[in-house]
Amino acid sequence: MKPLGVFAAAGVLLAVVPFLGLPAFYESFLYLVFHWAVLATSWNLLSGYSGYFSFGHAAFFGAGVYSTAVLAGKLGWPFLLTLPVAAAVPALLGAALGAVVFRVHALRGELFALITLALMFVFSTIVLNTPIDGGPGVYLSAVAVPAIAPTPSGSFYLMALVLALGTIGIAYAVFHSRFGTGLFAIHDDEDVAEVMGVPTYRYKLAALALSCGLAGLAGGVHGIFVSYVTVGETFSGWMALNVILMAALGGTRHWLGPAVGAAAVTLMTFYFTTSEYAIAGRAAVGLIFIAVILFMPQGLLGRLSRRKSFPRGKTEELSKIKAITTDAILVVRGVSKAFKGVQALDGIELEVRRGEILGLVGPNGSGKSTLINVVSGHYRCDAGSLMFEGRELSGVAPHRIARGGIARTYQIPRPFPHLTVLENVALPPMFGQVVMERRAAESEAWRWLAFTGLENKAERFPADLNLHERKFLELARALASRPKLLFLDEVLSGLTPAEMDEAIRLVRAIREQGATIVFVEHVMRAVMELTDRIVVLTYGRTIAQGTPRDVMRDPLVIDAYLGTAHA
Amino acid sequence: MPSFTLLGQSVLSGVFIGALYGLLGLGLTLSWGLLRQINLAHFALVFLGAYGTYQLTVSAGIDPLLTLVAVAPAFFVFGVALHWLLARFSVTPLNTLLVTFGFMVMIESLIQWIWTADFRRMETPYGDVRWKIGGLYLPLPEVLTLLIAITLAFAVWAVLRHTDLGKAMRAAAEDAPVAAAFGVNEKVLALLLSGLCAAFAAVAGTCLALSHTLAPGQIYAWIGVVFAVVMIGGLGNPLGPLVAGVIVGVSEALTMAITAPAWAPLVSFTLLIAILLIRPGRFE
Amino acid sequence: MLEARNLRISYGAAPAISGVSLDVADGDLVVVVGPNGAGKTTLINALAGLHRMESGTLKAGGRDISRLPAHRFCDEGIALVPEGRRLFTGMTVRENLELGSYRSAAKARRPDSLRRVLALFPVLDEKLERPAGTLSGGQQQMLAIGRALMACPRVLLLDEPSLGLAPSIVLELFRIIREVNAAGMAILLVEQNVATALDIARRAYVLEEGRIVAEGPPKELASQPHIQRAYLGH
Repeated sequence: MKPLGVFAAAGVLLAVVPFLGLPAFYESFLYLVFHWAVLATSWNLLSGYSGYFSFGHAAFFGAGVYSTAVLAGKLGWPFLLTLPVAAAVPALLGAALGAVVFRVHALRGELFALITLALMFVFSTIVLNTPIDGGPGVYLSAVAVPAIAPTPSGSFYLMALVLALGTIGIAYAVFHSRFGTGLFAIHDDEDVAEVMGVPTYRYKLAALALSCGLAGLAGGVHGIFVSYVTVGETFSGWMALNVILMAALGGTRHWLGPAVGAAAVTLMTFYFTTSEYAIAGRAAVGLIFIAVILFMPQGLLGRLSRRKSFPRGKTEELSKIKAITTDAILVVRGVSKAFKGVQALDGIELEVRRGEILGLVGPNGSGKSTLINVVSGHYRCDAGSLMFEGRELSGVAPHRIARGGIARTYQIPRPFPHLTVLENVALPPMFGQVVMERRAAESEAWRWLAFTGLENKAERFPADLNLHERKFLELARALASRPKLLFLDEVLSGLTPAEMDEAIRLVRAIREQGATIVFVEHVMRAVMELTDRIVVLTYGRTIAQGTPRDVMRDPLVIDAYLGTAHA
Repeated sequence: MPSFTLLGQSVLSGVFIGALYGLLGLGLTLSWGLLRQINLAHFALVFLGAYGTYQLTVSAGIDPLLTLVAVAPAFFVFGVALHWLLARFSVTPLNTLLVTFGFMVMIESLIQWIWTADFRRMETPYGDVRWKIGGLYLPLPEVLTLLIAITLAFAVWAVLRHTDLGKAMRAAAEDAPVAAAFGVNEKVLALLLSGLCAAFAAVAGTCLALSHTLAPGQIYAWIGVVFAVVMIGGLGNPLGPLVAGVIVGVSEALTMAITAPAWAPLVSFTLLIAILLIRPGRFE
Repeated sequence: MLEARNLRISYGAAPAISGVSLDVADGDLVVVVGPNGAGKTTLINALAGLHRMESGTLKAGGRDISRLPAHRFCDEGIALVPEGRRLFTGMTVRENLELGSYRSAAKARRPDSLRRVLALFPVLDEKLERPAGTLSGGQQQMLAIGRALMACPRVLLLDEPSLGLAPSIVLELFRIIREVNAAGMAILLVEQNVATALDIARRAYVLEEGRIVAEGPPKELASQPHIQRAYLGH
């Protein structure tokens, strides 16, 4: 059955409940399950998918609660009309927060968690001290609830049901989309994601706004449900912890995980707190929490949280091209970059000609990797210019540079550990020069897996690969975006001679398909065999360029690269 | 505009509450900065310590400060066990927050079970003593808290700064394997430090019991502002929470005196957000 | 002084070092050369106790130390200058040096060792109270060596000390390494600057893919065609 069908069937089945004449208690209990499912699922959209843990979900929930409380309770708006506002206000607040916080590179992990926690206290103080609440709380029992079911509790049940299905539907859609893939990549390695073309800033902002908006919507309904709202009850640190517990219990990497966790925790809390062992019950919740984090860091649905890959499609033959030209695809002029006083690049001058394999050699620490990081936009150079096909790269965001057709591999492979090999390779085509949806991207990915001989590892995770397979995964991932210019950072290091020959064959094949390659390597045999020209760096400077034979005879190069003993 | 005396008394009470913030933050900043463990259970421990002091004082008639002889070693053992558990399962820093949250809930339940949710107030001879200097009141419990907070913070600072043991702890926090290569038994030091942090919670608990009314629900009231103080003070810096605590305490007290008491939380959190945004590098 | 037999070390399933045997005699100067990714750093870290070995034995001064915990290796007279220096950057130069002599045997000789290290690296004397992170690359490397010397080791393990340093500073470093060795300290040097390393070594090992593929006097190795082609670019 198609997922849409499952959703519809579940919706219809559950929608019948209020018309069965059950005691109101059941409807209210299920209302709470749906309510928490919305909150946990919406929290997970940002925090579970992208790894930015928010401790301030209550702040945005509260913004929704008080939007409706003020509009419906104090200004007399019809309840349903307040809901769009209850979603929009938190979404805008979230976007504003993100616009500031996501610009600061270091605000990740626990710092992001704390800033959102602090924000919750700020919100609550403001609401408490202004006419929004003012202290005594807001009574909402007079607000009319649309009678969509025979009883009021039935109506709340239905509203929460719609909201829960909608939120889970959104989570499902995001989970399976390009957007979701981007968020997962941010979770695993944000810098690599950006270099692979994921617009990380925009994605995080969108996920945060969506997450906040949905929490606000739940707040708008919940305020009327409880019919009397106070600052203390609304803006509580408990909520974030509850939501995190639910998501962690169910599994943060599954679209349904938080909802499953919400149902389990709501049931558990209800069971324990209404029994005569309420205190022991709370202690038990604490113990379960500890056990889950220690023994099941993936959650209940953790093992199921694999996305189905698309079947292999047909792909067209690649056109074979081209002769080396003399026109430069990349011109680097006077590029300098210093870190804490160490001059990593000191006025680099070089050009890369379209269609060639350029060898970039030099001792460790001579600036080769820094140069790649500058060209790919990860670092911004202090001085100089980088012209790629006539356009300046300096100051351009890395994901735009990737989209322009520049790709790289990492010397120490940096695959996204929680994505399968296939998903790893399918990521760059989704964010490359031609934007592809997941299906097309995976079909493209299969081609490059075949090219690098990793087809039978497609459904495995990077941790299952050995070093040379991980190196080839780096290659496949860089190739999958069909770059015009490809930087290979020591793809041969650590390979056995046989694997090395295989890699050299691959690099040749890549060039035949039209890419220009900058080949950073220590293995001189491969450099001499593969490259058309060589540029030698030492101490951040270009000391020689030319054909391999000429350059390797240059006394300056012998001195710098091979050591004084051979001068 | 409030009178000069009132403002003076506000500043003073801000200093006193700031000292308590600093005392609560001391164990937190050390475990976060040097052990990469974000310990929510610290707050529950402080309250457990406070209740322990309360119980021993009320039922056995022991001097509140002497109760530490029993409570602090017990907490030390808990701290060691906690770090052993976190290290055994290699829990990530973010997940330490979740695990210790579980411990916080369990300790809170324990407190509720033993002492119920009712308010408890410890009556001791300390509470009756206060001095009046130039129109300003100085209550003994608060003065004691301030002195203990200053002494402890400087003692820890001196140990970290000037003893081989302290330097080894700092080195292990920066690069544990290399510290080990130079003979630092970093695993044992980490257990020791975690135990000490928990023992500091006991000290903070005793001070809390001296000056405050206790209720299990209050545990959560301290989390936000003390975390803010820890972060503003700089992770791993033993003097940081005290200095930041006094700054936050005084600004809160002045906010209360000049505007309404309910505006006070805005100060610490706005300060925290501002510092996070302007100098995020200091937390790396 | 140091005697390794059949060492095997793995990351996960993949072996990083398999069947490596190696000797450093008292007062010897031994180099290990090999391509990036061959396992040089893994090997030297294992010799310093930072990696548990899966099998094989390691002896220092005749004592089996294969199963000792990392923090006890220092007592056996082994000190490491790790790749990338790995100083305690938030601590001062003096504190870094003091940390080097943390164990009691070395601590007893601390003032004396400090004098000797500062005589060897006068530049550190002026910067004793500065945070180690504010030193230049060359000074940081000197501090890393100084820190290891403070431990009064009998064998010094050096992992790529020339990394990212200017030629004049590399020359200076190698001069100091020779000087330290001439004073009687055994040295094991891992180096990618093959020509220079072979130049100063008394014995050399070539490590490829986690195995020793050649060993002997440097002159002999340097004349082998395989070595010439792979490492010397001839």
